[in-house]
Amino acid sequence: MSLFWLVIRQLAEIEAMAASKKIITRDEWEKKLNDVKIRKEDMNKLVMNFLVTEGYVEAAEKFRMESGTEPDIDLATITDRMAVKKAVQSGNVEDAIEKVNDLNPEILDTNPQLFFHLQQQRLIELIRNGKVEEALEFAQEELAPRGEENQSFLEELERTVALLAFEDVSNCPVGDLLDISQRLKTASEVNAAILTSQSHEKDPKLPSLLKMLLWAQNQLDEKAAYPRINDLSTAILEDSAV
Amino acid sequence: MSESNGISRRRNAGDQDLGLYFLEACKGRETKEKEKEEEEEEEETPRELNTINSSGGFVVVSTDKLSVKYTSVNLHGHDVGVIQANKPAPTKRLIYYFEIHVKDAGVKGQIAIGFTCETFKMRRQPGWEANSCGYHGDDGLLYRGHGKGEAFGPTYTSGDVVGAGINYASQEFFFTKNGQVVGSVYNDMKGPLFPTIAVHSQNEEVHVNFGQKPFTFDLKEFEAQERMKQQLKIEEISVPPNVSYGIVRSYLLHYGYEDTLNSFDVASKSTVPPIYIAQESGIDEQEIMYALNHRKTLRQLIRNGDIDVAFGKLREWYPQIVEDNTSATCFLLHCQKFIELVRVGALEEAVKYGRIELSSFYDLPVFKDLVQDCVALLAYERPLESSVGYLLKESQREVVADTVNAMILSTNPNMKESKHCLQSYLERLLRQLTACCLERRSLNGEQGEAFQLQRVLNSGRRG
Repeated sequence: MSLFWLVIRQLAEIEAMAASKKIITRDEWEKKLNDVKIRKEDMNKLVMNFLVTEGYVEAAEKFRMESGTEPDIDLATITDRMAVKKAVQSGNVEDAIEKVNDLNPEILDTNPQLFFHLQQQRLIELIRNGKVEEALEFAQEELAPRGEENQSFLEELERTVALLAFEDVSNCPVGDLLDISQRLKTASEVNAAILTSQSHEKDPKLPSLLKMLLWAQNQLDEKAAYPRINDLSTAILEDSAV
Repeated sequence: MSESNGISRRRNAGDQDLGLYFLEACKGRETKEKEKEEEEEEEETPRELNTINSSGGFVVVSTDKLSVKYTSVNLHGHDVGVIQANKPAPTKRLIYYFEIHVKDAGVKGQIAIGFTCETFKMRRQPGWEANSCGYHGDDGLLYRGHGKGEAFGPTYTSGDVVGAGINYASQEFFFTKNGQVVGSVYNDMKGPLFPTIAVHSQNEEVHVNFGQKPFTFDLKEFEAQERMKQQLKIEEISVPPNVSYGIVRSYLLHYGYEDTLNSFDVASKSTVPPIYIAQESGIDEQEIMYALNHRKTLRQLIRNGDIDVAFGKLREWYPQIVEDNTSATCFLLHCQKFIELVRVGALEEAVKYGRIELSSFYDLPVFKDLVQDCVALLAYERPLESSVGYLLKESQREVVADTVNAMILSTNPNMKESKHCLQSYLERLLRQLTACCLERRSLNGEQGEAFQLQRVLNSGRRG
C-alpha cells in the first residue's frame, strides 16, 4: 500500500517539475538556431584538427588543398608519429622506441610510465613468440629494476610474467595482455606523448564538442522542454515529449 | 518550406530561399562579427568608485576615483565609510574579480571587501546587512547578512592585496589574499551585485583595482582551472568513437571535398582497428553523394576565382540553377566576378561588367547592400584595407562556393528536405550546442559563459 502512495507522490512531483519547465516550441527553437552564427572557416579548422590529431596525413594534405585551411601542426611530424604508432600496433616495439628517440629523445626520458609500458609490451611480444629464456632475461634486467622503484610497475610486471606460468594462455586470467587491445593501448599512449611533446593537444576537439552538446542538453532539460538532438549521427531535431 | 512534387516548382520557390540563405551569411558578415564582439563588451563593467552614493562625510575619494580614505573618527557601528563601484559586476562571463591594496590600515584596520546590492545602507560594513557579504581585515571573518561573522580566513593589514570574486560556474563568492585563494562560500545574494569596499578607522586608506592594472592573483589560471573542472565532467560522457568519424565524413561529402574524402576513406579503413562508420541508409547516402565530382570541380573553380569557367560549367551541367539571372546564386557569382576583376586591377573592365550585370540588382533591397559594398571597392587605392576589404578575402569566395554547392544539392530529385542542402550535420550540431548554452544561461539569470567555438579552437595551444 505504501509503495502505491510513493509512486503517486513521485508522479505528482514529476508533473510539477514538468509544469515548471519553460516550454519552447519548435518554431521558437528554430529561430534561436537560425540566430546562431557559425563560421565556415571555424568548422574547417575543426575538421582539420581532427584529421591531424588522428594522424591522417594524406587526408589533411588534401583538405588543405581543397579548403585552404592551414593545419595547426607541421604535417611532416605526423608521418613520423604515425610510423611509431604503427610499429607498436604491429608489435615491433624495439623499432618504435628507436623511432621515438629519433623524433625526440626527451619524450621517453620524461615519461617513465610510458617507457615502462613500452618495455612491458616488448616483454609481452617475446612471450607471445615463445622466446621464454629471452623473456625472462629481459624481465630481470630491464623491468625488475623499474618494478623496484614503483609499486604499480611491480604489479604490472608480475602480471606480465605470470603469462609464462600458463600452457593455455588464451584462457588464463592475464590473457588480456596478449590481446591486440593491449598493443593499441600502448600505441595510444605513445601517440599522446608525442603530441604533447609537440605542444599539441592529444585529443581531437570534435568528440569533446559532441560530449558538450549532450551535456548542455542534459543541463537544459532541467529547466526547459525544447526540441532535442538525440542521435548525433543524424543531427535530427526531435520534438520533446512534454 | 512546403514540400512539393514538381521539380520546377520546388526549384523556383527553393531557389530564392536557398540562395538567399547564403546572401544573409555574407551580407551580415562583417557587421555581425562586430556586433557579437560588442555584445560581449556591452555589459558594463565597474571602472571606478561611485562617489555619488558613498557614505559622504566619512570618506574622501581620490580624483581618479580609485582610492578612498577614512576621514571621520570611528565612534560606533553606523559611521562606516562604505563605497561601491560605479557599475555592478557583469554576469556574462565565467568569473568576475577585483582587488584592493591596503595602503594604510590606520588605527584599527577595520577594512572590508565584498559585494552589496543597490539599496545597501551606506553606513554599515558590507556583510552586516542582509543581502551583502564582506571579508573583514581586522578579524578575518566573513560576514553574510548578520552582525556575527563566520571564521573564514586570515586577517589582513597594510601592504596586503585582497581580492573578491564571483564564480558564476559554481555560484560562489571567493576571496584572495596576496595572490592565494583564502576561501569560498555559496552565493545566495539576489540582484545586481556591486563590488564594495569599506574603511572604518582613522587614517585607513585603500586603493582599488578593477582591472586597470594586472591583478596580484592569477585570475587567468584560476579561470582555466574552473573550465578544466567542467571539462572533466563533460569528458565522462561517452560518445562512441565512430560517431566523430561519421560526422567528419558527412561534412566532407556535404561540401564536396572529394579528394579529402577518398583519402579519408582509405585511411580509416586501414586504421587499427578499422573504423566502422555506420553507413547512412541508402537514400541518405545518395542524397549527399550526389554530384560529388561536379561540386568539387565548381568549388575549385570558384576558389581560384575562375568565375567565367564556373558559369560555363553550371550552364552545361545544371542550367536550371543559372537560368534565372535575378536569382541570389547568379547575383553572388556576378559579384564575385566583379570582385575578381578589381583584385587584378582591371578596374575599367570591372566597371563595364558592373554596369551590365550588377546594376539591375541595385534596386532590389535584399541585394542592395552587397552591390554597394562591391562598387565601393573601386573607390580605394588599397581596397583590402578598407571597410569593404572583406570582399577580397578567401571567405567571400568560400560563401559563393558554398552557395553553388547547396544549389547543386538541391537539384537532386531524391532530396527529401531542401533544408539538408544548407547545413551539414556538423553545423546543425554546433548550432544546437550554442543555442542550448545560450538558453541555459538566459534561464540562469544571464550568468556565466556562453559557448564560443573560437575559444574552444584556440584553447590548449601552448606556445
